[in-house]
Amino acid sequence: MMKKYPGNIRCYDIFAAIRQVTLAAVMLSVAMPVAAVISTGTDAETGLPYWEVVEHGVSIRLVQRLPDQTRGFFQARGFSIADAELIAQSCVFQTVFKNVAPPSDPGVIEYNLDEWIVHVAGAQRRMKTREDWQKEWSARNAPKAAQLAFEWGLIPTRQTYRPGDYNWGMSLFSLVPGTSFDLDVVWRQGGERHAARMKRVVCAPDVHVSPDTP
Amino acid sequence: MKTRMLFFIRCTMLASWFVLCAAHAAGYETAQTLSPLPKPFAAPDFTLQGEDGKTYRLSDYRGKVVVLNFWATWCPPCRYEMPSMERAHRKVQGENIVLLAVDVGESEDKVFEFTGQFPVTFPLLLDIDGAVIQKYPVIGLPTTFVIDPRGIITHRAIGSREWDDEKMLAPLRKLLKP
Repeated sequence: MMKKYPGNIRCYDIFAAIRQVTLAAVMLSVAMPVAAVISTGTDAETGLPYWEVVEHGVSIRLVQRLPDQTRGFFQARGFSIADAELIAQSCVFQTVFKNVAPPSDPGVIEYNLDEWIVHVAGAQRRMKTREDWQKEWSARNAPKAAQLAFEWGLIPTRQTYRPGDYNWGMSLFSLVPGTSFDLDVVWRQGGERHAARMKRVVCAPDVHVSPDTP
Repeated sequence: MKTRMLFFIRCTMLASWFVLCAAHAAGYETAQTLSPLPKPFAAPDFTLQGEDGKTYRLSDYRGKVVVLNFWATWCPPCRYEMPSMERAHRKVQGENIVLLAVDVGESEDKVFEFTGQFPVTFPLLLDIDGAVIQKYPVIGLPTTFVIDPRGIITHRAIGSREWDDEKMLAPLRKLLKP
């Protein structure tokens, strides 16, 4: 039932609203951890789109990598043109996973990419990790130096971060350039499971610039 | 009308509260932390050639504190922290603290090219086939271990740090005191 206030006491409404919202905020902060904030924008360093999950003490950012960047990077590390092309066409993101908790916070953050789920066109599957790729490179007889660069260039499959720790590494989603997908990211903080869904993440398109391109 | 306005005020305030929480959580500055290992362990010994052509053996540094960094020239955070490692090296000269950076999987030429852009005067070692990094619990680059004078790994940092910061140097100096 709606509560009725005297019509001329407008300030009363405002103060009541402030009180109610403050009370709700306090109750929320006590009752549950801060919900993950998922945002997107343009990465200041690369000028490319990013998708980011931020929750208390955790920051996970995926930044698009252009297929041409990836081609150049892996060809320079000893991969054949065909193998570098295979990687470049696999929807690559630069991933930055950080424990941003203050040093006083003993919270340890762990993740395992085997728990992350890619949703695309109604289907879902797990990510292809370092270990999966290692088998592929062995089968394709990729040079050892190239395999080593690939292994260390990828975001680790499993990692444990203490406050201040972080990694940068590539994530490969094995999707055609330009594909849009959702990604469930999962991590554990102080043993407690957390998850968030990044929606409408887009693989960078494969742009071929010709001399005629304006 | 009044009800609608009240609803609008409530929504605005709640949204502001969430935005404030998010900004606080983001905290992009990486903390200057050096985590002590819950279970310290003996540093696996190794011998590697340096980019300067000399041979380096880890156990030759027994009696000193060693900051052992695993890196690669193509890794952005590794490149980012290298100048601070150089400044730290200069800062601790004569203090029985040494820095060693092990490049993983790259040739001498690649590392030489890097030092043309970022001059480094402490030893840069070449783990060309990745045999040394496999002996250490490294999962991502850069990872840095602190080894005490007895050859025990006591601390670890994953990701870059500002190594010349006194907050980072204090635990190293502490290890030198018996």
